[in-house]
Amino acid sequence: MELIGYSCAYVPVEILSATGLKPYRLLHGEIKLAQDGEKYARVDACPLVKSNLSYVLEHREEFRCLVGSSGCDMARRMFDILGKTVDIPILVIDNPRTDRFPIYSDEIDWLHRELENIFSVKITPDIMQREIQKWEALRRHFRTLDEKRRARPSLISTTDFHRAVINYHKGDIEFPPFLPEKVSDKPRVYLAGSALPYEANPVLSLFEERLRIVGDFNCGLSRFLNVNCAEPTLTGLKKAYYNQPPCILKRPNRPFYEHVSRQLRELECAGIIAWTLDYCDNYEFELKRFEDRFGLPVLRIRSNLSFQNPAQLKTRIEAFAEML
Amino acid sequence: MKIRPVEYIKNPPPAKITLEEWTEQFELVPDEEIARYTYYHNPDWGRYLFPPAIFMVYGARELKRLKLDNSFAALRMWGFVFNETERLFRAGQVDKKVIATMGDLGIVPIIALAFPNCVPFYPECIWWTPFFRESTEMLDFATKLGIPEAACFSRACLSAFHKRAYFPRPDLVIASTGASCDDYSCVMQQVEDLGYEPLWIEIPLRREPQKYLTQDRYDKANYPRRFEDYLIAEYKTVWNRMTALTGINNLNRLKDSIAKTNRLRGLVQEIKDIALNAEIPPLPALELMVIEFGNLYGYADLDEWISIVEMILETVRQRALGQVGVLDRNAVPIAWVTPSADPYLLNLVEDLGGRVVATEYVINQALVPVEENIDPFRALARAFMKSSLNGSTTERIKRIKEMAGSGQIKGVIITNMLGASHCAMETRLIEKELQSVPVLAIDVPAPFGITEQIRTRIEAFLEMIE
Repeated sequence: MELIGYSCAYVPVEILSATGLKPYRLLHGEIKLAQDGEKYARVDACPLVKSNLSYVLEHREEFRCLVGSSGCDMARRMFDILGKTVDIPILVIDNPRTDRFPIYSDEIDWLHRELENIFSVKITPDIMQREIQKWEALRRHFRTLDEKRRARPSLISTTDFHRAVINYHKGDIEFPPFLPEKVSDKPRVYLAGSALPYEANPVLSLFEERLRIVGDFNCGLSRFLNVNCAEPTLTGLKKAYYNQPPCILKRPNRPFYEHVSRQLRELECAGIIAWTLDYCDNYEFELKRFEDRFGLPVLRIRSNLSFQNPAQLKTRIEAFAEML
Repeated sequence: MKIRPVEYIKNPPPAKITLEEWTEQFELVPDEEIARYTYYHNPDWGRYLFPPAIFMVYGARELKRLKLDNSFAALRMWGFVFNETERLFRAGQVDKKVIATMGDLGIVPIIALAFPNCVPFYPECIWWTPFFRESTEMLDFATKLGIPEAACFSRACLSAFHKRAYFPRPDLVIASTGASCDDYSCVMQQVEDLGYEPLWIEIPLRREPQKYLTQDRYDKANYPRRFEDYLIAEYKTVWNRMTALTGINNLNRLKDSIAKTNRLRGLVQEIKDIALNAEIPPLPALELMVIEFGNLYGYADLDEWISIVEMILETVRQRALGQVGVLDRNAVPIAWVTPSADPYLLNLVEDLGGRVVATEYVINQALVPVEENIDPFRALARAFMKSSLNGSTTERIKRIKEMAGSGQIKGVIITNMLGASHCAMETRLIEKELQSVPVLAIDVPAPFGITEQIRTRIEAFLEMIE
């Protein structure tokens, strides 16, 4: 099936899916792709953005359309570059940073209409309802897995959980996943920060040798579970996506901190792993505030996606675990 | 005929001169001339005409290395620009409201200026200060406050807020965010932690027309028209907040403010046009950059700034007419994309044989005229939608590309800030778009960090395109 690529947690996957294409979240991140991306972006661009740029260019035949958002600046500009290099429709929604639901609502309506027009399909309320129910059922299934991950003791590792959610993000949703239970009494920690790419699973595995990640706020992990569409209509969908716990780049970002603080309490976390990608302004600027506001030990991990030097990383994780 | 000092000082043979030469030349300025120029129209404490060496003593150490235009108009300009901190503190002392307008670079101050006794300013313009001071202290302090080292130099603004020595505590902070650069949005978020409640303003994306986009009404604009309505709502929020702050609500004053803004923008455009077309460059690039950025808010006294720019325009006209200027007539014409945080780079390029004839300093919205025959809020929205940073790179450099195509420029210099979100993503694209001319991209180093290597690169670039 051909793909419709998208880049942001605020793009409703249900509308993309209603075109008959497979929604594919652009969450690639590894060093070779990132280096290839430097033909188009400078070395100090986000490695995830550079990787996705390369991935789309290498697999351009598979994509029929791309949907982005004005969320983070580099991701938005990635579509500017792609607009010059691939010959497929690129739709970028204006995702307001401030609390402006009417703008978001208008933009989703616009996206809906443009997709109907480009793919010559009529996305009727019935189709919309079916798509919402399909994706919501899948999210429900993932929520039950997430409950086990969050349980005390935690029954599912985030490493396994990540492997499973990759399917959701890549639009492979035919078979709801089942995960083996792996009970853990390791220190419970929360993961927050930049997006976690598909290729980052070994890093999670490394973390979980000494720790158990029981909650997260990262694109690419469980954020999509925060979208809970109770009303299977376009209006309901807009509300569900808009009202998800806000991205850290929303202004002011107090609600982000309130959400994560609540989660840290509920999940009884002993520490936080702050995962940031090189030059990810939206999280790197916030690390000190993480430490000040959450009042928990923070392990800062900054990555260029090379995943080099695992021994050093392992030592840092061990030291962090001992401290907890 | 013997030239009297006052005439000489107002019209010396054009040159770029050192600080010492300026100090000598300043002695020719009569006392009554010094007393004539004041900010906030205040003759008691509003003087600002000082020799540039004064500002070097107060910390702008880079002035020792810079060469400045020797006209009286430029003297007035530098005195006024370097006096801004004093001016902002004075504003607070005489019960003016000081309004920090952050992030939109050129429109919100027009609204603030419609309210009497309100002084808007841009805290981010402090990004030049570490370079003028040849000190990384403000940048290092920003790092201590939590900002990564590899971030735009506008991070110095957070230190300035913290230290409370560069401007007074603003009566209102208006912070524009949205489809713009991330670095500054992140800085603004940190300012909130210092006890401010910014009024957040949304910058919409300029989604330009494509052949496959059919579901939005563009009406000959290069963005969906409904985006104007979003901005109008934002500007009305600003207006209401200003009304609440001042107790004044007079929309005619907004029209006056727009007219005054247009007056300034027209003057600056004329200076730029003359600078582009004159046989010999009538003004150095550094002064031209300072003039261009004056469009943002008139350096916290718009009336006086307009008067200064009028004087500069007169100087530039005379020089162009007399076919005299500050550089060699064979200087190589180039365009400059993205402003340099280090003023010295502009001097350096000229010293090595370049001449800046076109610029894209990410403030296009501050250069365009604001329509005067329509609803003022819509006019402001339309002006902002010509912004440099909320749309595509292609649109941003369209004019530079045209100039390259017509042979008006022989090369382009792009200055990058390491870690700045738009620089990281735009530079390669700009290089590709401008294939018809050579392009040199330079990373602006930290203060006092311009090396022989950078000098050599610029030299080689200019030799190549000569």
